[in-house]
Amino acid sequence: MKLVRPVLLNLITWSLVLLISFPLLWMIVTSLKPQTELFRIPPTWVPETVTFEHYWRLLSETPFLRYFRNSVVLASTTTVFVVGLGTLGAYSLVRFRYRGRETLAMLVLFTYLLPSVVLIIPLYLMMVSLGLSNTLFSLILAHTTFALPYALWLLRSFMEGIPVDLENAALVDGASRMGAFRDVIFPQLLPGIISTALFTFILSWNEYLYALVLVNSDAVSPLTTGVMSMLISAFNIEWSLLMAASVMMSLPLIVVFAFLQSYLTSGFGAGGVKG
Amino acid sequence: MANVIFKDVHKRFGSFVALEKLDLDIHDGEFVALLGPSGCGKSTTLRMLAGLEFPTSGEIRIGDRVINDLAPGKRDIAMVFQSYALYPHMTVGENIAYPLKKRGIKGKARAEAVQKAAELLQLEALLDRKPKQLSGGQQQRVALGRALVRDPQVFLLDEPLSNLDAKLRSYMRAELIELHARLGKTMVYVTHDQLEAMTMANRIAVMHGGRVQQFDTPDAIYNRPANRFVAGFIGTPPMNQIDGTAEGDHIVISGHRIPFNRADFVDSLADGPVVLGVRPEFVAIGSGDGLPATVRLAENTGHETIVTLELPDQTRISARVEAARKLDVGQKVALRFDPAAIHLFEASENGTRLNLDETPAAVIPMRAK
Ligand SMILES: Nc1ncnc2c1ncn2[C@@H]1O[C@H](COP(=O)(O)OP(=O)(O)OP(=O)(O)O)[C@@H](O)[C@H]1O
Ligand SMILES: [Mg+2]
Repeated sequence: MKLVRPVLLNLITWSLVLLISFPLLWMIVTSLKPQTELFRIPPTWVPETVTFEHYWRLLSETPFLRYFRNSVVLASTTTVFVVGLGTLGAYSLVRFRYRGRETLAMLVLFTYLLPSVVLIIPLYLMMVSLGLSNTLFSLILAHTTFALPYALWLLRSFMEGIPVDLENAALVDGASRMGAFRDVIFPQLLPGIISTALFTFILSWNEYLYALVLVNSDAVSPLTTGVMSMLISAFNIEWSLLMAASVMMSLPLIVVFAFLQSYLTSGFGAGGVKG
Repeated sequence: MANVIFKDVHKRFGSFVALEKLDLDIHDGEFVALLGPSGCGKSTTLRMLAGLEFPTSGEIRIGDRVINDLAPGKRDIAMVFQSYALYPHMTVGENIAYPLKKRGIKGKARAEAVQKAAELLQLEALLDRKPKQLSGGQQQRVALGRALVRDPQVFLLDEPLSNLDAKLRSYMRAELIELHARLGKTMVYVTHDQLEAMTMANRIAVMHGGRVQQFDTPDAIYNRPANRFVAGFIGTPPMNQIDGTAEGDHIVISGHRIPFNRADFVDSLADGPVVLGVRPEFVAIGSGDGLPATVRLAENTGHETIVTLELPDQTRISARVEAARKLDVGQKVALRFDPAAIHLFEASENGTRLNLDETPAAVIPMRAK
């Protein structure tokens, strides 16, 4: 009797894990199979011959590396913007008292609730009138507006957890406001900053819709739209190349995740409870 | 010279008046306690002195400098926060060194100062620990260490002992008294614990509702309270206050006439309603002639008994008697008050005291300055 519960629980958990990881595994396996083995029925679970030719082709014969570089620039710049602005904004929302502070915070959250499809046309028109259409920078701005509200709320709840007296102590001890921020607030806020940065980076790295609408030149396309338009046409999908590209696209996120996942979960926890 | 002067200081938060007409003149080297119930403005006073809050009007000086608009770091003060506010990511050593670091003191001078502060507070063994790994008392000492490492002109302490257990608190109280004697620095100490204020301070500012009610020595605060608030705040149990009527050289309470010496009181004392104040230790419980009362409660603390008595008009007062005294609940007794120990107050809510002050009613042991 006593055994039933844990066994059942384990069964459910592992089936879920399997369900979720199967596409990932299949993606890796497929990317390593030679073209001839791809569509064999029944499928081979373990490739008979392992080949890296798709990866080689992807890197040498396609603009994959350029898309990759665009994505890196896009996601990291967005992250820097969002974390920078978010930290300053959260600091102001938590530490200073002014009229309309709460309303401002609510408004910010409200923009987060609007679906991006609604915002995308006005945003596009704005970019055009700013002369920024078809640039990576327009995407950076778009992603920033997109990720900032949530980041602000996440950082705000982290900031609220830092006692005001810590900062006051630093001021009395002779620090300037900036100094107190750097010496005392920042180290306390670091877990929040890291999880916000991760969240933003992932969001920006995977974003598709804005990239599709705001940018249509191949030179500034990020991975999501670049790879899609390159490998998926109306007549043909280059499965093996697509799988190799997918693996390489996932790689940075997996690496980042592996190292920083404890921050990420703590961040989502804090945001969930208080935000 | 590091005297501290508050001159006609007002502080408002929006429309809420937190402090009204605050005038304090704290002498160089003095240990002053700000004492009062929660919300009376003690912390606000201290925070204005620290530069963490700014006065709405008035002037604050340290020495001969007006510091109203000076940043906290420029005031040459050190502060111990109620929550200690130790920097969690720094070790004890780094915490203590921080104020020096911010003032550009480097290398050997810094290390030596930290070492000296650590020795003074017996923290040498803990220098490499993080605040989280310390007990409450140790954290408190680190906070003190961070304050005194740099030899400021004025120390500000905001309820530094309130998070400690009773035993540690009395130990730290003694430590602080000794520290003050050794350093001879001006200290401003916020507390709502009258025992701390009475035992540690040279002078106490009793505050209530944003106003200083009395600023005087513990002796004066206890024996010559300025008004009904101070009388009712100081002492455990505090001074009894009984509504009565002055008639010639008697106070009439519930039809019972209590004689008093009119010459000991101000001329303006007229016949009519007054409040009679008497400390529990000057209430004599007997039988026969006296103010009739009923025993309602007798609490034996070991070395004395606190008796709660009910007067005919249902006012409850307390008396302090020796522990051996046997009194039964419900017992009818007669009370007499030592005429020399009688205080009279105006009958208004926070009426001023009407005694002329040549005769301190009692003497309690005092700390020499
Ligand atoms: N930033 C602020 N905004 C509005 N009101 C405030 C602010 N700071 C303090 N007050 C109010 O001013 C009054 C005095 O506060 P203060 O903190 O000085 O009290 P205190 O005497 O230190 O009390 P406690 O013993 O509870 O610490 C309180 O009524 C408080 O609510
Ligand atoms: Mg306070």
